[in-house]
Amino acid sequence: MSTTLPPRAVPEPGRAPESVAELIPHLEETWKQPPGLWAWLRSVDHKSIGIRTMVTALIFFLLGGLEAATMRAQLARPENTVLGPDAYNQFFTMHGTTMMFLFAVPVMQGLGLYLVPLMVGTRNVSFPRLNAYGYWVYLIGGAFLYVMFLLNTGPDTGWFSYVPLAGPEYAPGKRVDVWAQTITFTEISSLVTATALIVTVFKNRAPGMTLNRIPLFVWAMLVQSFMVLFAMPWVATASQLLAMDRLVGTHFFNQAEGGDPILWQHLFWFFGHPEVYIIAVPGLGIVSSIVATSTRRPVFGYPAMVLSLVATGFLAFGLWVHHMFATGLPQLGESFFSAASMMIAIPTGVQIFCWIATIWAGRPRFTVPFLWVLGFVVVFIIGGFSGVMVASVALDQQVHDTYFVVAHLHYVLLGGAVFPLFGAFYHWFPKMTGRMLSDRLGRWQFWLFLLGVNLTFFPMHQLGLDGMPRRVYTYLPEAGWGRLNLLATVGAVTIAVSVVLLLINVIRSLRTGAPAGENPWGGETLEWATTSAPRPYNFPLIPVVNARSPLWEETGPLRGVAGLRTDVCDVLVTTLLDAEPDNRHRHPPPTIWPLVAALATGVTFITLIFTPWGAVIGFPLLFLGFFGWAWPHGRDHREQLSIEAERPVEAGP
Amino acid sequence: MTEMRIVGNVGNLPTTTFGHRSMAWWGTVGFIVIEGTTLFICAVCYLYIKQNFPTWPPEHILRPSLIAPAVQATLMLVSNVPMVIVDRAARRLDVATVRAGMMIMCLFVVVMCFLRVLEFQALNVRWDSSAYGSVAWATVVAHATLLVVETAETFVLTALVYSPRLEQRDVSAVSDNALYWYFMTGAWIPLAALVFLSPYLM
Repeated sequence: MSTTLPPRAVPEPGRAPESVAELIPHLEETWKQPPGLWAWLRSVDHKSIGIRTMVTALIFFLLGGLEAATMRAQLARPENTVLGPDAYNQFFTMHGTTMMFLFAVPVMQGLGLYLVPLMVGTRNVSFPRLNAYGYWVYLIGGAFLYVMFLLNTGPDTGWFSYVPLAGPEYAPGKRVDVWAQTITFTEISSLVTATALIVTVFKNRAPGMTLNRIPLFVWAMLVQSFMVLFAMPWVATASQLLAMDRLVGTHFFNQAEGGDPILWQHLFWFFGHPEVYIIAVPGLGIVSSIVATSTRRPVFGYPAMVLSLVATGFLAFGLWVHHMFATGLPQLGESFFSAASMMIAIPTGVQIFCWIATIWAGRPRFTVPFLWVLGFVVVFIIGGFSGVMVASVALDQQVHDTYFVVAHLHYVLLGGAVFPLFGAFYHWFPKMTGRMLSDRLGRWQFWLFLLGVNLTFFPMHQLGLDGMPRRVYTYLPEAGWGRLNLLATVGAVTIAVSVVLLLINVIRSLRTGAPAGENPWGGETLEWATTSAPRPYNFPLIPVVNARSPLWEETGPLRGVAGLRTDVCDVLVTTLLDAEPDNRHRHPPPTIWPLVAALATGVTFITLIFTPWGAVIGFPLLFLGFFGWAWPHGRDHREQLSIEAERPVEAGP
Repeated sequence: MTEMRIVGNVGNLPTTTFGHRSMAWWGTVGFIVIEGTTLFICAVCYLYIKQNFPTWPPEHILRPSLIAPAVQATLMLVSNVPMVIVDRAARRLDVATVRAGMMIMCLFVVVMCFLRVLEFQALNVRWDSSAYGSVAWATVVAHATLLVVETAETFVLTALVYSPRLEQRDVSAVSDNALYWYFMTGAWIPLAALVFLSPYLM
């Protein structure tokens, strides 16, 4: 670590720089991201953390996909022997847990971490160390789950871990405890990331970016982050209660001692239903970005779009009981939640009509990202239709726990999240790497994926109506489900080929892809106003905006404010509503302490599975980790004293 | 890189702020929301599980003792008076008052931890005796984690304000810590009423 301060601030506080070029060498020095493993472990840059979160999530996506492919191989014909019942239970549990907790939420948050600071015109996420800590906790949790899976201790009671099946009586051993602690890891990670994103949007927006000028993707991430804040504690608490029932003999879910298995379902689905929208809402934001860029006009009905996102966020919390229609609820409750479930189609419908109006009035270019948007509309709407169907209690009772529901949830999640995500991938990959992905391979990938998804999941509607239950490892030939299952397996292979094409496309592009330039698609928002890939400081000046689509509506060079220190990682803090410059905040330099704290967290939670002494070992470790983080020392301390020496503090009210 | 032109200078803006102007304050609010939700969930579980019992507490189980919880609740309420003084002193950058105040807060938090141990005893039930015991313990444990975090934070901040390494932002952190303190002590009152008083009322 350097023992001397970088060169003095340029310009001196209070003096305007003579040119932007004067600032750049100093910004490069102060914000540099050195190569090497040690620097990588210490990085607190939002782009680095965002990309590694997305890459890690995509690796988990591949693993979850392999699990799915293995299950499809098993189900391709009756009485198959690829997987036995025990392995099959672990596979579907791992698939669901991986896709929901280790892929879908983290990948969307990773994308948000990368893009939100760029779109709002700042230099980093609001709490860079906390953000790095969130990533490490997520990585430790995911790695822990897979290590235990390889040791034949993978969870086997479904991604929802219903009690009493997951309770101490019917699930001895450590499998369910592994699931419960994995949940704790991923929820901590999601919660700290959501907090960092909310504060970034609230306090770090470029001057002039009032609430009604925030890009729709940023609105989507804001709504998603609030949903995370209010939804994730439910599953985190529930999984701890389950762990306590299993490890220290409590009775939360034990009917014999006054506990209640249905309580688990309430707690789980109060998280679990918003979870669907936590995954899908960023997808809606992605679609808005791609639609605007591809049609070369701002999305029609901005206020309606924003209100729809917010309404979706609220309504998502009123639907959880529709997962529990088969538990014998009072009829009034069923009616209420049935109506609420149908009501959420309204804000989604509003957004879809706004996109159609935008496309109608614009000049659409059928680029690869735009194809993914069109695929999203088709697949998501099919999922929405079957959703409105199962919102009806009478129909739900018939198809509950059948493949009809498997079809519905995959249409919704693949349509609502994976199609937009792949679109986002093609849309922003050039910004992240400076290189374009192959258009031809992209089109092949899209059509194969669209075909594969429909081949895999459409027959499952029929299988469900024919009575095929979920989560069975095999079936008899007399059931007559063989042909449709084989078709679904062919579809799964098609999806796998499509994903391989994406990997080939990425590798080829990184080696020989065409240079992207700053704004290859002609985008409207601020991330397109900087280099591809962006420099570590994002923008040489903090941009000033006075329009919703600054790159389209403002003429002349992009405007910016100077005056932030260039010898420390200085960022601008603005007011919540009007984004007026308010104060300056120095971000910390790279540090190893988030990783240390995450390792302490990992040791604590993993040890707790095996012995209550984990608390005795873990809490001192946690304290040391966070103490090292918080105690002023090193470059961080010197920089802070330097910046505080500038002028007397402005004491608050 | 896209050409940019300079239209303003923000170099004279302050670098240490308090309350909603400070990013750390917003981070504290975020954690209050998360932990507040967790405590709310405990209360929901408590009321949900209560429905399964014809009597509350269940038969043959003593009702909770009230002395330790009453002292704790009173102490938590009273502790906000010195904390408000510390908060205001921090906002004036009156480090001398902050130092003295934080020492007093250390005393408060140590006594609160001691009382928390007595509160567990005052439940008069084991966590593994029935779902009643489980949920009563879980609610108190959930709040105890906040108390442990606050204890660690109070001690570290006290060490900081006495340290030659003190930075202005640490004084702002004292103010943010005050916000967390108001939340921690305020949230305990309804929870304590639920766990310790409701068995007498329901």
